[in-house]
Amino acid sequence: MEPILSVQNLNKYYGDQVGCKNMNMTLYPGEVVGVVGESGSGKTTFINSISGNLNPDRGKILINKDNEIINFLEISESLKRLLIRTELAFVHQNPRDGLRLDVSAGGNISERLMSIGQRNYGNIRQTIFKWLDKVEIDKSRVDDFPRTFSGGMLQRLQIAKNLVTSPKIIFMDEPTGGLDVSVQAKILDLLRKLVRELNLSVVIVSHDLAVIRLLADKIIVMKNGEAVETGLCDQVLDDPQHSYTQLLVSSVLQV
Amino acid sequence: MNNVLKFKNKKANVAAQDEIYNFAYLDENTKRMIRRALIKALCIPGYQVPFSSREMPMPYGWGTGGVQVTSSCLTTDDVLKVIDQGADDTTNAVSIRNFFKKTANIETTEKTSQASIIQTRHRIPEEKLKEKQILVYQVPIPEPLAFLEPRYQETKKMHALSEYGIMHVKLYEDITKNGHIETAYAYPVKTNDRYIMDPSPIPKFDNPKMNNNPAIQLFGAGREQRIYAIPPYTEVTSIDFEDYPFDPSKAPHKCSICGSNDSFLDEIITDDDGNRSFICSDTNYCNQRMKDK
Repeated sequence: MEPILSVQNLNKYYGDQVGCKNMNMTLYPGEVVGVVGESGSGKTTFINSISGNLNPDRGKILINKDNEIINFLEISESLKRLLIRTELAFVHQNPRDGLRLDVSAGGNISERLMSIGQRNYGNIRQTIFKWLDKVEIDKSRVDDFPRTFSGGMLQRLQIAKNLVTSPKIIFMDEPTGGLDVSVQAKILDLLRKLVRELNLSVVIVSHDLAVIRLLADKIIVMKNGEAVETGLCDQVLDDPQHSYTQLLVSSVLQV
Repeated sequence: MNNVLKFKNKKANVAAQDEIYNFAYLDENTKRMIRRALIKALCIPGYQVPFSSREMPMPYGWGTGGVQVTSSCLTTDDVLKVIDQGADDTTNAVSIRNFFKKTANIETTEKTSQASIIQTRHRIPEEKLKEKQILVYQVPIPEPLAFLEPRYQETKKMHALSEYGIMHVKLYEDITKNGHIETAYAYPVKTNDRYIMDPSPIPKFDNPKMNNNPAIQLFGAGREQRIYAIPPYTEVTSIDFEDYPFDPSKAPHKCSICGSNDSFLDEIITDDDGNRSFICSDTNYCNQRMKDK
């Protein structure tokens, strides 16, 4: 099987400051890769660099689109933005960054559909209801504005908005950050269900090892902008080799 | 420069105090700059060309953009008609007509068919336009995406890459809220199957007239410093949904003066009891029909 996304030797600097350095990653279809590390370790820089939000300084990002390898950093702006609209999706930590707050919930979900050329109101409406159902938002809320939604509902709405065009690769930056634990559990359940059902390939960034353990197959541990340890999720978390990973694993709070 | 010479020859007709103005008010360099923008705009239908808008002796919102475009297009042989909401006799129309009478000493008319340049605020005349006529629109906000995406840099990119999904989000919201597309004026159009364009606040009733029109259509936005255009015989389509097609609706009444059934109507409240009547918004069209009777 060919990887759907492969990142080779990626570097991003902010002036003299290291954002992330010598990063490598391969993501296979249906696989979830977790990126963990403390605040300032370069997780967000890394995910922004590989999702088209930031321009990395060096390195290669190869995306497999229907058996055609696309060099993401060398394609034209228009193709890049088309890929971002159709093949890729980005779930922000703060759902307000990923939603239009003055557009109804249904309008938010429909935007990607219309941007790829769907022009039938009835069909679009059907798709919206299907996705509200999938992310467990009551259908009666379809015409309400996002500002009337709770934090957890907003996050679920953002997920629906992103997945509606069936993108192949999903990037998530702390999707459960800032939510209380019961809502967090609900979102995680939902994500796990969607990942299995739709065979999604996901790169997920989190500082919460429990989230990563629940969702991820593989893990990348970052510190000071570099990957200090990579491997299968269970293996790395059960038997951490690098001293920083050991520290990270031992710092998890037990209830 | 030709204009200037011609103008000087006509000098005998000009009152002495008006010789301080160049022909049609603007200086020749400015007119050349605007003509360049106009040519570029005509080459890329619907594309907004930035231009360095001048201060005009009238407030923004009164047609400074349209006046600059008209000024750059005028020759001594032109016959000018100016309408405001379809009417030849409202303040805006009368003062702009007087402005060009004074500064360019050109002939003016109220008859659509006799005009070579028609400057308009918010209407397209009912009478069909012909080749060699120029329709100049006054535009308040040229950017059709402005209310959806406030960042100008971003809208520029959206135009460049034809990312127009958000335009339909607006229509989607309309249908969801009201059961039909509520937008009744400034209804966005796609020009030559490429650029989404704001047709200035004309009623959507007028949108179909823009399509395949033999006349040249020029749009000037003075405050926003943009010029755009539709060349003759260009395809202009109003955007819509398959199951909610564009509908150029009008009030279901007849003109109470001329009885016209197919012209755009103004609603006039006639007394304090809520009585109202409907009359043609295009005064020249209405008068002409009365004369023909």
